[in-house]
Amino acid sequence: MFGNQHRFTRGWWFIAPGLTLMTLIVCVPLAMGFRFSLHDVFLYDFRNQFFVGLENYRWAFRDPLYIASLKTTAIFTAGCMIISVGLGLILAFLLSSKLVRFRSTWIALFLIPFVMTPVVGGIAWRLFIWQQEFGLINQFTALFGLGQPYWLLDSETALLATIISNSWHLTPLAILVFYAALTTIPEDLYEAARMDGATPVQTMWHVILPQLGPHILFVSIIIITSAFREFDMIMALTGGGPGRSTSVLSIFAYTRGISNQDMGMANTVAFTMFLIMATFAWVYITLYRKLEAKT
Amino acid sequence: MSRTSKGSMHKSSTIWGLHIALAVWLLFSLAPPIMLLAASMNETALFRSPWDLLMLRDFSLNNFTVAFSEGDFWFFFQNSLIISVSAVVITLIVCVPLSYGLNKISPRQKAIVSFGVLAMRFVPYVVLALPLFLLFVQLGLSGSRVGLLLAHLAIHIPFATWMLVGFFEGVPKELEEAAIVDGCNPWRLFWNISLPVVRSGITALAILVFIMSWNEYLFALFLAGSDAQPLTIGITRFLGGAEVGAQYGVIAAYSVLIIAPVILFALVANRYIVSGMTAGAVKG
Repeated sequence: MFGNQHRFTRGWWFIAPGLTLMTLIVCVPLAMGFRFSLHDVFLYDFRNQFFVGLENYRWAFRDPLYIASLKTTAIFTAGCMIISVGLGLILAFLLSSKLVRFRSTWIALFLIPFVMTPVVGGIAWRLFIWQQEFGLINQFTALFGLGQPYWLLDSETALLATIISNSWHLTPLAILVFYAALTTIPEDLYEAARMDGATPVQTMWHVILPQLGPHILFVSIIIITSAFREFDMIMALTGGGPGRSTSVLSIFAYTRGISNQDMGMANTVAFTMFLIMATFAWVYITLYRKLEAKT
Repeated sequence: MSRTSKGSMHKSSTIWGLHIALAVWLLFSLAPPIMLLAASMNETALFRSPWDLLMLRDFSLNNFTVAFSEGDFWFFFQNSLIISVSAVVITLIVCVPLSYGLNKISPRQKAIVSFGVLAMRFVPYVVLALPLFLLFVQLGLSGSRVGLLLAHLAIHIPFATWMLVGFFEGVPKELEEAAIVDGCNPWRLFWNISLPVVRSGITALAILVFIMSWNEYLFALFLAGSDAQPLTIGITRFLGGAEVGAQYGVIAAYSVLIIAPVILFALVANRYIVSGMTAGAVKG
């Protein structure tokens, strides 16, 4: 019956058109990008393309600006992940308490930073939250006599500020996934822990957190992929500056390709991003299968 | 003091604590949109303290008038709307059958195709944007909505497929088998039996894809030329230099107009958005 059903339902007829389109519009640019990364290509002289092999990659890895950008991206991604997952866990725990009233209203309002256009979010943070004299943050720091840092205009603090702004955008995702996961945990587990005399914090740490393992992995990877490629938010906040303090790889590739017109190098930078993400994807899928096999 | 009243006092302080913690987060979450709204409704010449803005000390709707007249709002709005709606329609037409079909092939084949789809979700946008920029220049597609739409689809299709497969997995096997026994043909099995079951999943997907397209900036920056620019590019017109001084009220008004539809979605259709965001996470 099972085998027959596969033949009967003509699965591939439904799959073929979409799969072909998807492969075309994703793989053609990817292949072209790889080809460009092996050439010297300049926008102002587009017709003269020289094959240079892996020379662009060698240049990139020797370029201190590329290495700095790689580091910035790593800090940015890790920072966003730690803040979003941490806050997401705490808020989901709070939200899942039986004592919370108007839960659906809280959830609806918590969603807003996530759906808000990142460019607009970035602009709002830049003009009204981080602004040195009148921004909300410095109104509070002044209140407590902590001084008024320049935040986005100071290369010491700009990266931290962009991380916080981007975490603001990503945390709702973590809250909602963790909250949904918590609602699937059977009631008896809480009961059993309570019977054994565990405090809420102990219950959280020893009983609930292990149950969330696969979900934490899932959220982390979604946030890593999103933060790793982030462009809109950073562009609106700092444009990669001041200096190059917030120039993550996406922005580095953009400035190389469009501002410096060096498309060969831009595609090289982008392709290394793809390779890094591909490694991440591979690690994620392996880990996920292991976790699934365990539970 | 009796034991019960002590218990209930403890409980009520826990309730307060919980709600205060949630409210603190909510204030942090909503500070940027609230400040935008406040600033958009104040006459502005120089930066003002946030408290002045929030109290609407210099109330005026002039910023909106300027945003419409000098900001070419309707031109950008038209591009944003056309691209987002087309992206939703095409993504649905392509991905609904695709993800239905994935549940109708052998588990091994499904695993291989799903792996490919998942892998495509990891491609950073800029990796696609750079070659597409060069390709479109050669094909004469740069600055066209079609080109920009294609780039959007490169993101939406893997995302949508991955999400919808989970929804189709939820269709009861017995329902489909009964339909086959009753002599249902493959097309009707898809259209009349399976599709109605996943209707809310499809709504969720449509909303998410719309929001993603509406919010998109990177592709627009690379590919929109001057004719296909959406609102996210339109607003950057007002952003000159490090600080924007006098124009910031207009920027706020423009921002409010851009985020109004997506925030409306969050408030009205949050059930769908949440089910879409958590799909694929919770079954695992």
